[in-house]
Amino acid sequence: MKSKNIAARALRSSLFWLLIVLIFFYLAFPFYWAVNSSLKTEPQLQMTPATMVPRDAGGDFAPSLQNYAAVFANPRFVRGLINSCIVAVSTTVLALTVGSFAAFALGKLRFRGKTPSLYVILAMTMFPQVAVLTGLYAVIRTLGISAIPGMILSYLLFALPFTVWVMTSFFKGLPTSLLQSAQVDGATPFQSFYMILLPLTAPALVTTGLLAFIAAWNEYLFALTFTSIQPSARTVPVVIALFTGQVSRQEPFGEIMAAAVIVTIPLIVLVFIFQRKIVAGLTAGAVKG
Amino acid sequence: MTRSTELVKHEARLAYLLLLPSFIILIVIAFYPLASVFVNSFTDKEFASARAVNFVGLENYGRLLGLTVKPLPPLTDPASGQIQRDPASGEPLYERPVKVLPREPRRYKELRQFNLLGSRYVLGASDRNFIRGMADTLAFTLLSVLLETFLGLIIALVLHSRFKGRGLMRAMMLVPWAVPTAVSSRMWAWMFASTRIGFVNVLFQNLGLGDGQIAFITEEAWQLWVMVAIDVWKTTPFMALLLLAGLQLIPEQMYEAANVDGAGKIRQFWNLTLPLLRPTLAIALVFRTLDALRVFDVFQIVLAQKRYSVASFIYYQLIDNQAAGYSSAASVIIFFLIFLFAVLYIRVIGGVQNEE
Repeated sequence: MKSKNIAARALRSSLFWLLIVLIFFYLAFPFYWAVNSSLKTEPQLQMTPATMVPRDAGGDFAPSLQNYAAVFANPRFVRGLINSCIVAVSTTVLALTVGSFAAFALGKLRFRGKTPSLYVILAMTMFPQVAVLTGLYAVIRTLGISAIPGMILSYLLFALPFTVWVMTSFFKGLPTSLLQSAQVDGATPFQSFYMILLPLTAPALVTTGLLAFIAAWNEYLFALTFTSIQPSARTVPVVIALFTGQVSRQEPFGEIMAAAVIVTIPLIVLVFIFQRKIVAGLTAGAVKG
Repeated sequence: MTRSTELVKHEARLAYLLLLPSFIILIVIAFYPLASVFVNSFTDKEFASARAVNFVGLENYGRLLGLTVKPLPPLTDPASGQIQRDPASGEPLYERPVKVLPREPRRYKELRQFNLLGSRYVLGASDRNFIRGMADTLAFTLLSVLLETFLGLIIALVLHSRFKGRGLMRAMMLVPWAVPTAVSSRMWAWMFASTRIGFVNVLFQNLGLGDGQIAFITEEAWQLWVMVAIDVWKTTPFMALLLLAGLQLIPEQMYEAANVDGAGKIRQFWNLTLPLLRPTLAIALVFRTLDALRVFDVFQIVLAQKRYSVASFIYYQLIDNQAAGYSSAASVIIFFLIFLFAVLYIRVIGGVQNEE
């Protein structure tokens, strides 16, 4: 009986690890392929069949860092990294601040017009980006703001509804009794919001923040349009898309992949740091025996 | 009594105050662009042109959505009055669709032919590209969101359990979402290359499928699947991370209680995890569906004008055809479609919808 149990557990645990390995490969392999391609020279990229690691004609392992050197030698790329950081951080901070105010009201306070407000906010992101492109451009020109604040504002168009909706659902999930007991203790609703509820929704804040940050970091169409007359404000995706090879009309694929690897690694580090926070929050209080 | 109404009033005032910043931002950035899309959709406005703008009523909508079904009469031999048949298969021959589809006021083109009750019909559309784009976008949305939800849920559940290296896996999980779409689409296009410089062709050949020359991107039968594959890889992390955060909010005491009650893992999932995850699931679904219906980058970068999603059709009409009015009408149609989906989801699965 006992040994049967042990066998079953061993089987379960090895199936579990198999699943983890499968997930890992599925998620990581295409990125590995980008890394692999970024270490190849143009002739190596054209080899058939494609090789799992960069190889020279004799079949020996022969990675090349020339793509990375070319990317870092490009001042526009470095400039783009800085621009992307400014835009993505500002968008995230603004969306989280303004959005969690609204979400608290929508999730925990009693007032008329709650459902219409939610739908109006969501409706803002129901148009394809292309559709609002020209109108938004006109607004930004009229307000006389330059490209970077212009991008931050326009990214709120998708970041804000997303934050509001996700945070609202998380606020709703928190027990109302928390709020009531705080009120009994004499706290104003706003005090109970930032002293009690906000810390409790830390996992939600981190999650929405990460997702909004990455969405802003990766946005391409608005960035391309708004920086067309101000190239110094270009963000990384635009810079990469506008890479041109040394030979005209040839797409520098290796360099594009090198740039992709460079812009993705900071994000992985960021997620690695913040993922602990996703675990914190509510479960932190629960003692697991 | 008066104290409690006072409290309610105070609460409502605070609520409006808290909502104010969001609404100010949204009004400033969204009101004019969205309103102008609606207005332009009833005109023949051209993009970046000085030509006078005319009000055209519902003309744009009619042209986009124009569908018609006409019976195709069989061809008869003028001499004998007999129905002509294909000499090889014996199937009857039919009139060419061009002859029966209306030309006025709009010209309809053949979308497909079908048989019904022994007669042959032709389905015509006044804008084939839009109708096809619409059908492709819906199919794409359905397939990709379904797969993403399924995979995302599995990944979230796995990453919710304790194991060594979980932190690393959680960071790894977001890699696909972190690669800019403009770049990841190029990367996938390269992996799906039509010769053996592409990974997928090499893989298929090693598995004994195909000859290493499958044209994934140009062959119609493959195109939609390629789009779904790219999108599922790219956005499953979005789903997984949201669901993981939702799982974290389920208090552990609940599972402990269920353990005491002797509920098995599978019963726990259906009776405890899934119901409690429903609000998160609803929101994740709403935003994924919304994004999928507006899909642009992948279609534009990988397929360009070979095949359209609604958004890349709009882009083509606006930028290449300068038809601002026409493309606005297409935007309004997709807006209503998205709105419909959003309301449907929220009604069916719940989420943040209020009980009042």
